This record gives sequence, structure tokens and C-alpha cells, in this order.
Amino acid sequence: MNNNKSGCIFICVCFYFLKSYALTNRRLVLLHMSVFSQTFSPCGRFLAAGNNYGEIAVFSLSAALSPDATGMSQKPILTFAAHEGPVFSLISTDTHLLSAGNGEISAWSWAELTKRVSNEIVNQLSDNSLIVGGGDNNIHIMDMETGTFKSVLQGHKDYIHCLSFREREGELLSGGEDGAVRIWDARTGQTVHCIEVFKYEECTRPQFGKWIGCLTTDSDWMLCGGGPALSLWHLRSMSPTSVFSLAGCQREAVFYQDLILTVGEGPYVSHCVPGGTVKAQIPSSSPSLNTLTLNLNSNEHRVMTTAGSSDQIDVFTNFSYRAFSLSF
Amino acid sequence: MSRCPRAALPGYSGQMGTITDDEVIRKRLLIDGDGAGDDRRINLLLKSFTKWCHSNVTPEEGFTQYQRMLGTLAQCEFSMGKTLLVYDMNLKEMENYEKIYTDIEQSIIAAHEKIAECKKEIQRAKRIRKNRQEYDALAKVIQQHPDRHETMKQLKALDKELHQLSQIKENVEDKLELRKKQFHVLLSTIQELQQTLENDENDDASQESPMENGD
Repeated sequence: MNNNKSGCIFICVCFYFLKSYALTNRRLVLLHMSVFSQTFSPCGRFLAAGNNYGEIAVFSLSAALSPDATGMSQKPILTFAAHEGPVFSLISTDTHLLSAGNGEISAWSWAELTKRVSNEIVNQLSDNSLIVGGGDNNIHIMDMETGTFKSVLQGHKDYIHCLSFREREGELLSGGEDGAVRIWDARTGQTVHCIEVFKYEECTRPQFGKWIGCLTTDSDWMLCGGGPALSLWHLRSMSPTSVFSLAGCQREAVFYQDLILTVGEGPYVSHCVPGGTVKAQIPSSSPSLNTLTLNLNSNEHRVMTTAGSSDQIDVFTNFSYRAFSLSF
Repeated sequence: MSRCPRAALPGYSGQMGTITDDEVIRKRLLIDGDGAGDDRRINLLLKSFTKWCHSNVTPEEGFTQYQRMLGTLAQCEFSMGKTLLVYDMNLKEMENYEKIYTDIEQSIIAAHEKIAECKKEIQRAKRIRKNRQEYDALAKVIQQHPDRHETMKQLKALDKELHQLSQIKENVEDKLELRKKQFHVLLSTIQELQQTLENDENDDASQESPMENGD
């Protein structure tokens, strides 16, 4: 009888230790997690985020934003292992979610994901081709229907960090580790311009290096930053018009209405004005942020989400303050 | 009970047989809120009426009883009139509230429309602000470059200077040529003179030696 009892207690204690060990393990996993990429679904109701463990988590925005949201609605509705290495880039087409990890690109159907619930960067052209910039210093353009590579754009001397597409002129911009922003004609594949940002005195910051970490354009203007300070360029005259004095290196920047939103080193989202002043810095929960996306696909879930070197994804419903955080 | 109370109930559907007594009692208890004595008064009136009809009393007593009954009847009528007025008042209040309700709904719709308009205005204003800022940014860059007129003037001045300098250069070159030629003339003349002098010397020397030989 006594033996039995002590045996029971022993098992209970063992079980408790195992459970707490598993919990600590998970906590460690979360502690070391970094989110590298995010994208919204075409309907605007779901957010997919990729982290450094190669997992992609799908969150339901409509559940998290609804008035009766609970703690559970801030957890992913689905998490799956997508790649062996970190998921560096995610992009959403009308029907599929494309993810890029170390050397491979996978496509996942949004319909299936929402039912259940390469160091590479991808971007999408309007005529169903996919632009992939990779660690081999080249940009590959792939046709999405056949899955074959159409052309290769060569010219960068080091690996490529970011891609952006200039719709009106049909040009592609790419920025890389070699500090050059190259503008390519999408049809002929020739370099139209090459801007070496670190050679301009106003932007250069030799203490950070010359790499270009973020690139975005709205056809007339371009934002680029990274090692050099974040600067706004007028593309017709190829001249920098304003330089933003932000402390760290910026990893992502977007144009939104009359503002420029940017994230990078430092636990905040910076709102800047095209004139060159930094209007506001909104605090967020990660010590440094890697990615920022705006949900422009849906009108009722128009939010901004940022994520970085932690397992939290901050959701901003009014862009001026952090509303809540989703977590892996 | 008698039919009177049932007929007095407002909203009565007319299904006499199906309504149970319980419901009647419940309804009457609910409605007969303020006039706790109304029912009793009517019953009392009826009782006194029947008693008065069957009584054999003196005409004066009968008359007083009759007066008393008339009084009770008047009281009942008064109470009924009051209830009817209250009912009318309730109906009018309901109408009033309905009107206010529709007014408020309309103003809500108007406010919504106004909000939508204002949102559009804000978008427009943001676009205008963005354009202004882009303009300012470009203007800043443009200001850094010098004025076109200034540059043209400078260019013209430089042109003139260049022209002048090239003219001076031409003049100097011409002079140089002239001097070269003159020196050349001078030198050749000197050489010829030298030659002539040498020739003369030679001639003199050759003339003297034959003379010495002839002696």
C-alpha cells in the first residue's frame, strides 16, 4: 500500500517535471524567436508570419479584431513548418502564399491554409511573374504558371537584400549588400541606373556600412536605407531630397498616404514626413523590428503589423499606438 | 362574473370561449392598477340596484337609495372618463416618441454621411500635404543649384574672356612670327656679309701672293 502510494507520488512528480521542462523549452524557443517576414492574405482577413525556425503561422485578423476577442484569438490558427532555414520572405498572390527560405520557394494555397487554419526575397510583377533576388548576386524572374525561370539580371556585386517594383515605368529596383541600388528595365533586363548610395555625403554612415536594407518606391520617389541613413530620392533627377536622422539601421520602410513609416533597430516604429523630419516614434514590444506590413486589402481590417526579434507581432489599429500583440 | 369587465378590457380579441378564467383574472389584476375600488363600486351598485328594486321601503328611503345609486354611477362614469383620457394621452405620447425616434434616425444618417464626407476631405488634404512636402523637398534640392540666369551670365562672361584671350594669343603669335622673320632676315644678312668679308679676305690674300711672286 505504502509502496503504491509512493510510486504514485513519484510518477506525479516526474510528470510535473516533464511538463515544466517542456514549458521552459517552449519559453526558450519563444525567447530566441525572430520574425522575419509577414504578409496579408488577398482577402485581408489573415496574416501569415515567418520566423527564424522555418515556421509559418497564420493568424485570423477578423477574430483578433472582433469586439469579443479573447486571449486565444491572439494565437495562430495554424502553424506549420515551411522550410528548414529561416523564412526570410513572404508574399501573397491572389490565391497563393509564397514563402522563401534557404534556397527554395514554396507555394501554399490560401484556401487550404484558411480552411485548416532562400536567403531570398520575393516580389511580384503584375503579369504573373515572380522576381526572386538571391544570395548569388543575381535576380531571377520566374514565370508563375510554368514555374520556369525566364531571365536573370546580373550586375550586383554582392547578395541582394530588397526588391521593389515601379509600376508606372515597369522598372525593378534592387538593393544589396554592395551598397548599390540598381534600376532594371523589367522587359529588357538591362540596368537603367545604378545609384551608389554610400557615395553621397548626406546619406553615408561609414560606421554602419554600405549595405542597403530597405527599398520601396511609389514610382516618382524612392526610399532606401540600411547602412546609410534612410533617405528619400527623387527618381527623375536621381538626387536625394531628404535624409532622415534615425539612430539605427532601417530594415523596412513604406509609403502610406502622406507619411513614411519605417522600422529597424530600436523598439519603435518611426513616422516621418517627406520633408525630412521624424514626426513620431511609436514604441513597440520587440527590441528591434524586422518587418512592417500594412493591410490594404481589406477596409474593415486596415491595420499595420510589425514584428522583429521576439515572438510578438504588434498590431496597430490606429497607426499611432500599439493596440495588441499576436504571438507565436 | 358578468360580461362588463371583459368588454372593458382594451385589446380584447373577442375569443370568448377560449380564454380561461385564470387569464381574465390575471389581466384584470394587471390592468386594474389604480382603481382598486372600481370593480367593487360596480358590484355594489348592482347589488344596491337589485336590493332597491326588490325592497319594500318608504318612498323617501327609496329616493335616498336612488340618489345614492346615481352618485355611485356618476363616480363610475367619472373614473371611466379619466381612464379614457389617460389612454388618449398614452397614444399621443407614443406618437410623439415615434416622431422623435424617426428624427433621431435621420440625423444619425445625416451624421454618417457627414463623417464620410469629412473622411474624403481628410484624404484629399493628406494628398495635398504630401504633394506640398514633395514639392518642398524638390525645391530644397533645386535651391542648392545656382540660378540659371546667373550661370548663363557667368558663361557669357567666360565666353567673352575666352574670346579676348584667344585674340591676344593670336596677336602675340603674329608678333612672334614677325620677329622670327625679322631675325631670320637679320641673321641671313649677317651671314651673307660674313661670307662677303671672307671672300674679300681671300681675294686680297690671293692678290698679294702673285704680286710677291712677280718680284
